[in-house]
Amino acid sequence: MKSDQWLAERTFHHSNFWDIKWLVEEKKKQGLSISLCLPTLNEESTIGKTIIILKSELHDRYPLLDEIAVIDSGSTDKTCSIAKSFGADVYDASEHLTEEGVRSGKGENLWKALYLLKGDIIVYVDTDIKNIHPRFVYGLVGPLIQAPEVHYVKAFYDRPIAFSGSLRPTGGGRVTEILIRPLFSLFFPELTAILQPLSGEYAGRRSILEKIAFPVGYGVETAMLIDIYEQLGLYAFAQTDLDRRVHRNQETIALGRMAFGVLRTFMSRLKREQLVELKNALPSIMRQYQVDDGVYRQVEYEIEEFERQPMIDVEAYRRKFDLQTQTT
Amino acid sequence: MTETLEEAAEETRRLADFVDALVPMRERLLANLVMLAQIPAPSGGEAPRARFMLDRFLEAGLADVSADDMGNAVGRLHGSRSGRTILVSSHLDSIVPVASDHNVTVRSDCIVGPGVGDNALGAAIVSMVPAVLDELGIELASDLILLGTMRSLDRGDHEGIRFFLDHVPQKIDYGICVEGMQLGRVNFFSVGTARGDVTCDVRPEPSRSYGTESALVVLNHIINRILGIATPSRPYTNICMGQMRAGVSHDTEPDHARLGLEIVSHSDEMIDQIYGQIEDIVSEMSARHAVDAHFDLFFRTRAGGIRFAHPLVKSVLGVMEELGIPPDQGHSPSELSELIARGIPAVTLGISRGEKNRKKSQDYVLIDPILTGVAQLVGVILAIDEGACDEV
Repeated sequence: MKSDQWLAERTFHHSNFWDIKWLVEEKKKQGLSISLCLPTLNEESTIGKTIIILKSELHDRYPLLDEIAVIDSGSTDKTCSIAKSFGADVYDASEHLTEEGVRSGKGENLWKALYLLKGDIIVYVDTDIKNIHPRFVYGLVGPLIQAPEVHYVKAFYDRPIAFSGSLRPTGGGRVTEILIRPLFSLFFPELTAILQPLSGEYAGRRSILEKIAFPVGYGVETAMLIDIYEQLGLYAFAQTDLDRRVHRNQETIALGRMAFGVLRTFMSRLKREQLVELKNALPSIMRQYQVDDGVYRQVEYEIEEFERQPMIDVEAYRRKFDLQTQTT
Repeated sequence: MTETLEEAAEETRRLADFVDALVPMRERLLANLVMLAQIPAPSGGEAPRARFMLDRFLEAGLADVSADDMGNAVGRLHGSRSGRTILVSSHLDSIVPVASDHNVTVRSDCIVGPGVGDNALGAAIVSMVPAVLDELGIELASDLILLGTMRSLDRGDHEGIRFFLDHVPQKIDYGICVEGMQLGRVNFFSVGTARGDVTCDVRPEPSRSYGTESALVVLNHIINRILGIATPSRPYTNICMGQMRAGVSHDTEPDHARLGLEIVSHSDEMIDQIYGQIEDIVSEMSARHAVDAHFDLFFRTRAGGIRFAHPLVKSVLGVMEELGIPPDQGHSPSELSELIARGIPAVTLGISRGEKNRKKSQDYVLIDPILTGVAQLVGVILAIDEGACDEV
């Protein structure tokens, strides 16, 4: 079976890429540049550590990264000033590509990173990781440098969640096991081999990232997988075990809203690929319930899942990267 | 005279320039601190930190890098001329329990986390000395030995540095002990220290003819008697009762109690005298209350130091003055005593300011002073290297 073979051949451990010096030399030989994108929204407690460790080890000591940038969604805490003080480039997402309108969400930051950053490879790392380590970057970049046919690398890990000083294992993540893997099993069986499809750490070549649409909200990770799979097939992917990732826990009710957003993105892909037929447009209201002093109350959340067009179709991007003569 | 003043002015400019020249290294120094602080290192379990330090020495291209038989991390940077040998050391262990959350937070002005100042910062800086010298374009004439020591704290009793000093094949001419805090400390006198535990165990019921059932109550009697020991202000002497452990619940009298105490004095005779008094108190209480009580002394250092007039002290104070660091000439309970006891002129220096071991706040070190602290260390190494600390 194809996915079994892929699993054996394209699943790595970060220790496979411990020789950062070799990665740097090979990167130079291939003429590649690599950018790190750190999407943020009020991450003052973790952003400083993330930047000094990754900058120190993978920029100053071993120049694997050519730029380190924070793309911020309007933090109201000290995230941006801390990031600047430790030498990261800091961009307020709302101040760039304004002609495309303003949207908010992590996906918006990831999409704008393609415009703002210069690298041939873009590495995305969430900034809520308490045990940040250089492996979170070199483990993802390694397969791309090692194998030209790999275009996108996804992280997976043992994911203990910090609970008041102690740790609890969670396997693949609740939304992954309850929603994503069943959906992949139904519609994209090969993609079930990707062990943690919602992990927030991944790296891709600009050449494919610029050709796919980016949902601005919860669905961005799922959309990337499906869209790259549709364009390049399973063998464009690799995945790397990054060992332990310690992060904040999310309440189940918040994961419910996440699942709603992911599901909308998924359904739009199913419709596009004519795998299902929807008679009506899907609603964008997620309903959840609260009880307060014995009174039950419905709370409605608008979860739009707006999608940004492929970056290569944006005129300003084409100008900046001198792509005027290309056709999309 | 004019030439001397010009030389002094040039030296001042050079040291001040070091701080600016080190700015590009700031994130590397901080990252080193964060990564080291996040490695648990109780006394006897420092090997992963030693490995980290050895890796840094190897990356810096030191020709002679290894762990000795005690596990101390040792790196040698050979000088351009066979001359003096300078030892720069820091202890690797920490009082933070392994099970504690070692996560470190980086704020805009400080690094927060358990044990960051004592002594992750000291170890981080020692591990970066070769890279710092390289960044500043400094080539030493002297041999430089960089050392990360095992089993310094608690019952470790300076075991690592003792082993190293007793087995190092070459003569050490000068020593610098590096502690994370506080910047400005210049310790050249080591206070005598005796550290031990008083334990009290209630005897099993059948063998108890009379007496109390609570080890805690007996320990309380012992404490009251220790409080009655007169300590002179000259020579400076102090008894610190810093730890007490007993009991498992509110409704059960404990059958075991332990008191951790430390005697410090500028006089070894005073320590011997007080130690004898405490032993007598414990023996008397053991008999009077029919319990098994003992005083176990597990750590002892001798008082001593180099003279204030020693050129090493003068040079350190000169470097501090040039860098605008107000000196704090206190005594030190650090590994300095092991160097002094072996006749090696040595000082203890701090790298930054911060807090440690506070009940209601986390340990932290300030970021801004760190580069000044590193420049100070380099300045003292250079002073030794250039012969300014030699006694004529």
